[in-house]
Amino acid sequence: MRRQRSELFGMAFETLRRNPGRSALTLLGLAIGVGAFIAMVSFGEGARRAVMDQFQALGTHLIRVRGNTRGNQERRPLSDADIVAIERDSSSVSNVIPVARMAFEASHGGEQWWTVVNGTDPEFADLHNWQLSLGGLFNERDLAQRAKVCVLGQTLVRELFGDPELDVLGETVTLGGLLTCRVIGVLGPKGTSTSGNDVDDIILVPVTTFATYFGLPTGYAALEIEPKAPEWVESAKLEAAAVLRRSHGLGPEDADDFQIDSPTEVIKAVDSTATILARLLQGIAAVSLFVGGVGIMNIQLVSVTERTAEIGIRAAIGASPRQILAQFLVEGALLSLLGATFGIILGVGVSVTVAGYMGWERITSVSDVVGSAAFGIAVGLVFGFLPARRAAMLDPIDALRRQ
Amino acid sequence: MSRFVVRTEKLSKVYHEGGAPLPVLIDVDVAIEFGEIVALRGPSGSGKSTLLNILGCLDRPTRGRYWLGGRDVSSLDRTAQAWVRLHYIGFVFQTFHLIAHSTALENVALPLHYAGVPREPAHAQARALLERVGLGERLDHRPNQLSGGQRQRVAVARALACKPRLILADEPTGALDTRTGQEILGLLLELHAEEKLTLVLVTHDPAVAAVAHRQIEIRDGRVVRESRSDAPAA
Repeated sequence: MRRQRSELFGMAFETLRRNPGRSALTLLGLAIGVGAFIAMVSFGEGARRAVMDQFQALGTHLIRVRGNTRGNQERRPLSDADIVAIERDSSSVSNVIPVARMAFEASHGGEQWWTVVNGTDPEFADLHNWQLSLGGLFNERDLAQRAKVCVLGQTLVRELFGDPELDVLGETVTLGGLLTCRVIGVLGPKGTSTSGNDVDDIILVPVTTFATYFGLPTGYAALEIEPKAPEWVESAKLEAAAVLRRSHGLGPEDADDFQIDSPTEVIKAVDSTATILARLLQGIAAVSLFVGGVGIMNIQLVSVTERTAEIGIRAAIGASPRQILAQFLVEGALLSLLGATFGIILGVGVSVTVAGYMGWERITSVSDVVGSAAFGIAVGLVFGFLPARRAAMLDPIDALRRQ
Repeated sequence: MSRFVVRTEKLSKVYHEGGAPLPVLIDVDVAIEFGEIVALRGPSGSGKSTLLNILGCLDRPTRGRYWLGGRDVSSLDRTAQAWVRLHYIGFVFQTFHLIAHSTALENVALPLHYAGVPREPAHAQARALLERVGLGERLDHRPNQLSGGQRQRVAVARALACKPRLILADEPTGALDTRTGQEILGLLLELHAEEKLTLVLVTHDPAVAAVAHRQIEIRDGRVVRESRSDAPAA
């Protein structure tokens, strides 16, 4: 039986080889279909990840803890003890940084500008995926020495120095008349946040410097917590909350004396939008695969009509309807198989090229390729069945008469 | 076992063209013994081709019964008919009906393929058959590289591939010149003698009819005359 099957494939291959132009054209439809499907699955996933990456570049994957400012219940400020406790006891947290925040008038020469001064850690820029356009961020040594250094946002450079392109490293800026600091870096432009605030209107100083010159009467304004992986946002949030409750000595009946937020809802919304777009692309590609299948059906129907006399001869000398059905099914299957193979080459080629061009890290996954190819072959088989059945149902007497 | 290869009883075939029944065969009773050579004669439209199709299990009678080798094959389904054609019957057609893109060897091996014989033994058998019909040098020629007589020899070899008991030949010399026709006829008679075949020939050619043991003449769907030849050839 296996022997018979391999002979069937041999015969089918012979038939396709006899008419290479037509076979190639038949293949092409399905190859484009499978290729498009693979490419669209890859593009969809690549685009989705690119959107997520951009979204995370805004720092939205961070969990924020803010001190409770409501009611007259006793407030425990957010402190270094909290940071240590979270970093020690939360397994899904990779990093916690403090943010002290106060509004001051910044001045340089005759220019003044009201802005928000952030006292924080050197990891701030990493956590927010924020590149520096000039100089660098303060380091651990600046932190230890309470160095009088600062990093300016783009808006500050524009407002205090008049020209955002100016090299302002080494210049000094005075904050609220309390601290005069040396500019050691300039943050790259980030534009406007989703809520409409000017993100670039910011000055960073070491958190120790902030505490020394401005004080921390109500503790840190916020703690920013980075989960070990974006998927772990929720568990990191739950863990951090539990640790904070313990660290603040809250009993089971007490309400939280802090507020903790994660961007999960927003990320979910963005993710599902991107996924819908990816599905849409795949749907369009599925249509092209379907059209490829119709192409196989049409060419095979033409082939059956052309070979009516041959089918009549085969039937007359004793081929059973099943054997004739098998012959044409195998031809259809072989066409689909070859089409799917070329489709894989085409689809992976296009995906890799486009991913390289767009700077996406993503390359097509094996399961996507196998799935698309299997789908293509299935389509080819389904559409190959109708012509094969027509061939098997031919009346040998009629078929022989048509020479 | 019956001594008849072919026996029919009140065999009728009626076509329905546009609602009106058109009888093509009416109560045909035919009996052909093993080893006989029978010529079916009659003008075109007499129904002899329809009779040949029914005898060859390519068609089914509307009424009546048909025993092939003692077995009732009047109402077999398409698959069973195909099995009977493959194992019991060899066809030789006027216009050869070879597969154009296949070689002589592949054409002869085709029935063996359908019978489930693997490639090598099938090709060995086909080679032997082609050598028997005198085409040992032409195994890899395609039909368009062969003369009419050679093509008919390939067709005869193919008809013999699955060792049939009954050869049905429809105007086997009709497309050949007289001399080549004689050669093919001679080949069929030789094979008849060697393989103990039963031969049913449809023919207009008196020379072909003359070699038959018996002639059956059909007109308007009925057997009108049967005559036994006094001096059958071979």
